[in-house]
Amino acid sequence: MTILLLLVPISLVLLGVAIWAFVWAVRRGQFDDLDTPAIDILRDEPLPTPPPTQAPSPQEGTDAD
Amino acid sequence: MSVTQTALAPDDRRGEVHPGAVATACHHCGETLTATNTVAASGQQFCCTGCAAAANWIQQAALEDYYRLRTVPAGRVDADPADFAGWDRESVLAEHSRNVPGGREITVLTDSMRCAACAWLVDRALHRIPGVLDAGANAVTGRIVVAWDPERVALSSLMSRLDALGYRPWLATGDAREQAKKHERRRWLIRLGVAGLGAIQAMMFAEALYLDTAGQMPLATRDFFRWITFLVSTPVVFYSGWPFLEGMWRELRGRRLGMDTLIASSTLLAYFASLFETIRGGAHVWYDAAVMFVLLLLVARMFEQRARQVASAQVDALARARPALATRERDGGTREQVALAELAVGDVVRVASGESVPADGVLLDYACAFEEALITGESAPVQRAPGTIALAGSLCREQAARIRVTRTGNDTRLSQLTRLVEQAQGERPALARVAERIASGFVLVLVPCAIAVYAWWRQHDPARALEVTLALLVVSCPCALSLAIPTALTAAHGALARMGVLGLRGDALSTLARVDRVVFDKTGTLSNGRPQLDTVSIFNGTDPDDALAIAAAMERDSGHPLAHAFADIDSNYRAGQLHSVPGHGIEALIDGRHWRLGRAEFAVGGEDDGALWLGQDNVAVARFTVGEARRDDAHAAVSALQAQGLHVELCSGDAHAPVRRFAAELGIDTVRSRQTPEQKLAHVRELQARGDVVAMVGDGLNDAPVLAGADVSIAMAEGAALAQRAADFVVTSPSLLRIPQAITLARRTQAVIRQNLAWALGYNLLALPLAASGHVTPWIAAVGMALSSLLVTLNALRLGRRTGTVARP
Repeated sequence: MTILLLLVPISLVLLGVAIWAFVWAVRRGQFDDLDTPAIDILRDEPLPTPPPTQAPSPQEGTDAD
Repeated sequence: MSVTQTALAPDDRRGEVHPGAVATACHHCGETLTATNTVAASGQQFCCTGCAAAANWIQQAALEDYYRLRTVPAGRVDADPADFAGWDRESVLAEHSRNVPGGREITVLTDSMRCAACAWLVDRALHRIPGVLDAGANAVTGRIVVAWDPERVALSSLMSRLDALGYRPWLATGDAREQAKKHERRRWLIRLGVAGLGAIQAMMFAEALYLDTAGQMPLATRDFFRWITFLVSTPVVFYSGWPFLEGMWRELRGRRLGMDTLIASSTLLAYFASLFETIRGGAHVWYDAAVMFVLLLLVARMFEQRARQVASAQVDALARARPALATRERDGGTREQVALAELAVGDVVRVASGESVPADGVLLDYACAFEEALITGESAPVQRAPGTIALAGSLCREQAARIRVTRTGNDTRLSQLTRLVEQAQGERPALARVAERIASGFVLVLVPCAIAVYAWWRQHDPARALEVTLALLVVSCPCALSLAIPTALTAAHGALARMGVLGLRGDALSTLARVDRVVFDKTGTLSNGRPQLDTVSIFNGTDPDDALAIAAAMERDSGHPLAHAFADIDSNYRAGQLHSVPGHGIEALIDGRHWRLGRAEFAVGGEDDGALWLGQDNVAVARFTVGEARRDDAHAAVSALQAQGLHVELCSGDAHAPVRRFAAELGIDTVRSRQTPEQKLAHVRELQARGDVVAMVGDGLNDAPVLAGADVSIAMAEGAALAQRAADFVVTSPSLLRIPQAITLARRTQAVIRQNLAWALGYNLLALPLAASGHVTPWIAAVGMALSSLLVTLNALRLGRRTGTVARP
């Protein structure tokens, strides 16, 4: 039963690590939004082809009317 | 410029509009398309230029996946963009944003994010703009956080982009408050996480003790385990359970017994009894019961809070009540838009009809009506004489007001109320208070009961006295009772939100279940709310274009539902002294002449014929007929309501003939026409006096008092902002079928709540004598409590699941 003297402290350390990790994740905002990230994965990112050149221009181009 | 809306020519007889004839819906917002409002662009059809522009941009930015990912159609995009130039001012930025490395960060609210795909779209759209450092959107809380570099891009252009996509941003109530809210949310999550992880560990150690059924464990090992369990459960009881301990302290100081007292005292009893037993080496410890209490009840409390947050976040009335900008008069009489923070005492501001008053002040010039529902709770507009005080956050009704500012910023009544409202948000719905009352009665019975049981066992079997008393307290903890109502309400509100119905008042759901009469206001509810000009006839030789332009100028600033019909007409006229008479029409001064637009007897002194008349000094100038298309599903919705055993009524301000024809088409036989708001309200009161529970469905400006007077009010989301504020439910989906569905759901929610309460009470009443007679050990009690809580929760979750399939067509 002396093994308990080793295992129980280890479990307590693991508990401490788990709580620390959770607190860290919450503080970093990982749990602020649980809905949007789920949808992110459904879409393939068009790799290096985001059209940043046209992004600013349609702003004046289309919504001015 | 890019897309032209079907031009509207005077004297153009269009005939009847058949919404069914064009089976398509707007590609962007899902609005039913009619012959006159369709805009075709890039191979798709749209209901307005705003939607077309938004879709065009989405396509150009390669974000079309939005249309695939979304579960709810987007909101209609307002064709005329709002002006956000004022948001770039240093004073606005200082109050609402904060410095982050490389730029600034702001949190804005929007009420049109309806599903995760919206949040996704907002996120991507903002990231595309150079100068945006980071962007995040949360559809549940309705908040968008943007970090940007002011050197490279102006905040106003980011906001215009959001607006052009249909997500009109509002300033939140200030950065400090936003940060505080976020921290509060995170603190709750951490409490829950600590409770969960700690409870699991404590259970593990407790398990080791339970498995030692034969009592073979050496005493030293046993005590070691007990001390370790003590160590693990301490933070759970005191850190995670702090809200309950605090609640008990508050209740005790207020000399009342509530749910928190019951929860906290049970937890503390189990905890300290265990500690006592650990120290003296007794037979049992109950740390696991203590931590499980805290964990389960914390989860229930979070459910309850989330339900409230979801309901209130989407329509953040307080944030909207305070406009971002005010219209200040310069010395020369010209006007300028200034940020709220720039307003100083002594300034004169102008407030257009339908807008909120930016600061407390003294009313100048003439009397005006203000709606102060948000501030005083009085739903009817209050007439204020010149020289009296107009309060910030109240809505100017009917005509524009001039106000001399006397108090600004944090001194206004509205700012003082913000704190109060936040407290009120912390208040629980009436149903939850019912459970609270039951719990309070329970405590009153339980405490003497427990003392009596302890005394009896002390006499007869002192060794078991503590154990039996503890089992009694554990088994009778109304955990299931406290979960019964919040979980059902949470599941129901979640299902409602998925359907496109937002419940804005917690209590309204139970009233909705009892409704036996539904009163519709025709304008905009059963029809698709987009009036169109059918014909224009001219009487005294006025140029038809001129008559239209005059009418358009008058309607432009009125916020009247019919204003849409004139929205496309350019007008160089300026209407002065605009004054609207609800139920009759509007009058204004144009080029020094007095014009009236409205029903015949008001505008030209004739007999009401359902048409819109334009009169100058009581002489008829023009007659417009305005047609309304009924919604596609109006008939189905009315039949569904009637099938539910509800009386359906139509109560409209329009003339007899069209209302009657409209009602006949839909199968409604109780019809009232030409009703003024007062008459409508009186009718509702009369129905209520007869014992009917009345649900009012409306959306026009002039039914806000009726909506407030009915037992339950439902506003269709396209309606004027004012009506939404007074409503209990806002239907954001364009389908009227959501109303019968919501009623069905409300009835099922009531049924589930009754089942849950019956089960929880039955279980507690059954378990109490068993525990008192010593047949239940504390751990069986804990398991029983957990199972009954689980059962109640699962029963409530049925609500979300079944309607989920109904909502999906």
